[in-house]
Amino acid sequence: MKFDTPNFSPCGDHFAMVQFGDDASIDLNFMALGLTAILKEGVIDGVLDTNPSYNSVVVEYDFDRITYLDLVKELQKLVEGIGSVDKLILDSRVVYIPALYLDSETRWCIKDYSEKIKQREYDPKFVAHINSLTDEKQLVRVHSGTEHWVVAVCSTPGLPLMRALDPRCFLTSPKYNPPRTWTTLGAIGVGGLSTSIYTTPGPGGYNLIGRIPIPLWDPKQKHAIFKDKVVLLNAADRVKFMPIDLEEFEYIEKRIEDGSYEFNITAYQKFSVGAYKRWAVSVGSKARF
Amino acid sequence: MTVKIEVLKPGLETAVQDFPGRFGFWEQGFPPSGPFDMWSFRLANLLVGNKETAAGLECQFMGPTLFFTEDCVVAMCGADMNSKIDGESMPMWKSILVKGGQELTCGFATKGARAYLAVSGGIDVPDVLGSRSTFHMAGVGGLEGHALKANQIIKTGISNEAPMQGRQVRQSCRPSISTDGRWEIEIVLGPNDDWIDKAGIKIFFDSEWKLQSRSNRTGYRLEGPDLTFAEKAINKGPEHGEHPSNILDHGYPVGSVNLCGQTPIILVNDAPSAGGFINPFTVPSAAFWKLAQSKPNDLFKFRCISVEEAQKLRRDLDSVCNEGSIE
Repeated sequence: MKFDTPNFSPCGDHFAMVQFGDDASIDLNFMALGLTAILKEGVIDGVLDTNPSYNSVVVEYDFDRITYLDLVKELQKLVEGIGSVDKLILDSRVVYIPALYLDSETRWCIKDYSEKIKQREYDPKFVAHINSLTDEKQLVRVHSGTEHWVVAVCSTPGLPLMRALDPRCFLTSPKYNPPRTWTTLGAIGVGGLSTSIYTTPGPGGYNLIGRIPIPLWDPKQKHAIFKDKVVLLNAADRVKFMPIDLEEFEYIEKRIEDGSYEFNITAYQKFSVGAYKRWAVSVGSKARF
Repeated sequence: MTVKIEVLKPGLETAVQDFPGRFGFWEQGFPPSGPFDMWSFRLANLLVGNKETAAGLECQFMGPTLFFTEDCVVAMCGADMNSKIDGESMPMWKSILVKGGQELTCGFATKGARAYLAVSGGIDVPDVLGSRSTFHMAGVGGLEGHALKANQIIKTGISNEAPMQGRQVRQSCRPSISTDGRWEIEIVLGPNDDWIDKAGIKIFFDSEWKLQSRSNRTGYRLEGPDLTFAEKAINKGPEHGEHPSNILDHGYPVGSVNLCGQTPIILVNDAPSAGGFINPFTVPSAAFWKLAQSKPNDLFKFRCISVEEAQKLRRDLDSVCNEGSIE
């Protein structure tokens, strides 16, 4: 539910949290990212850093430059200035990410979990079933049929939290319980309403459906794309997965390795929340690819 | 002049940090890092004539053994690690000259847990995302992204200030590190204190919490009684998850007490920036030095303070990290 006015709570001496509502409605994230974009222009003196998520933003501030109460007042003014979420127009790049769906490495992760921790179905089959899709091939069609909105880049460096934008491609699935102890690097996972990509190998709870051959962050800044920014994706980017086969996966891996891979990113569009919502209503959520 | 220092033994996760750490990359998943006990760190820098922001070494539980190839003014503040120079006891909280050819050895921390070694000119490592601080998990900053390793060479920067030896921190200006393993830690309510019921809040403040050994610069795991939850933690939308401590993913303020099931984890300098558990309380920055200097099995009692009190504590701490504290 969207709150009538945002909730503010202090967090220690130099953080404040702004919350626009208490559920996963994508409007709340649009508000959080709209406010973050304005804050990044430096409109409130004393705001040092921002950390947006599903329905909230954590703001770090210098309390010698602005008190908590004044910060809340200023944030309230900015939110009032945004007005209706439908009026928001956000900078939003489209980042094309090659994806080897139903790959052998994530298949191995699932099998390993099944043998050692808890018996389970092959994840893509499981996700297809509970979303009333015919089979895992349709799951691939549906998952790659939409732009995925980057809700936040968080938790560990470069890790994107994404939501499908096309209602014909909405998926929902319960996460692993208990979680996996191991997930391969670059695995594409779906859980709840979200999609994520594992930017570090390790534990995890999302259902694994494929794998990407490109890095989403590089602390060594080897490739030119990471020269100014160690992380590939920004919140409010849109990710489009491009299905590829194993041969192309290995080809891209080689081009990443020798530094000649050309990242496919377009940055000339804006994202209009109002236009998106009108379109989403027009296509409805009954149809499937 | 640049001085080369050879790492003979690295100690336990000794890493380069600078103050205040890494800022502006939080929303890409980068925590601030930086010295866990900023009080001791900043004073160590001031003692040798550096700016308080210069990069120095954070030694954890057991410090390194270092060989100095040339003369260098150094200072060690924070935990007592029985440091020695060529076998002679090295004074703490004091800037001293280490001569070329001398060896600085550290042992296990006897009082406190983290010691800070400042060297005149600071440590010269590349600036990564605006900071020299090591963020071990991502391999970013510091010496090749990680803790020190044997046989590495540390280089000092060139100091604009004259190195200052023979200066010490006034007794009254040093943090008082607990010797009985008990700590009173200040804490502020929020952001998710309304997910815990009144009884649960009372349990939190009335109890002693034991610091678990699986604690590090990412999180401080606490052991204690179970907390009880408010209605909104129990009856909530499925997007929040099953357990009362689950919440839809949100940003984690640094210092927040992350309730993971029934285990409170204080998220500290290298913590994840977001996740799906509630944060009912937040430890303010001025109390971080206490966390940094506590050891596994130490006991924490939390004292609730207001935002304004937390800010005053930080101003007080900042005013101690000043030339006036040095004699």
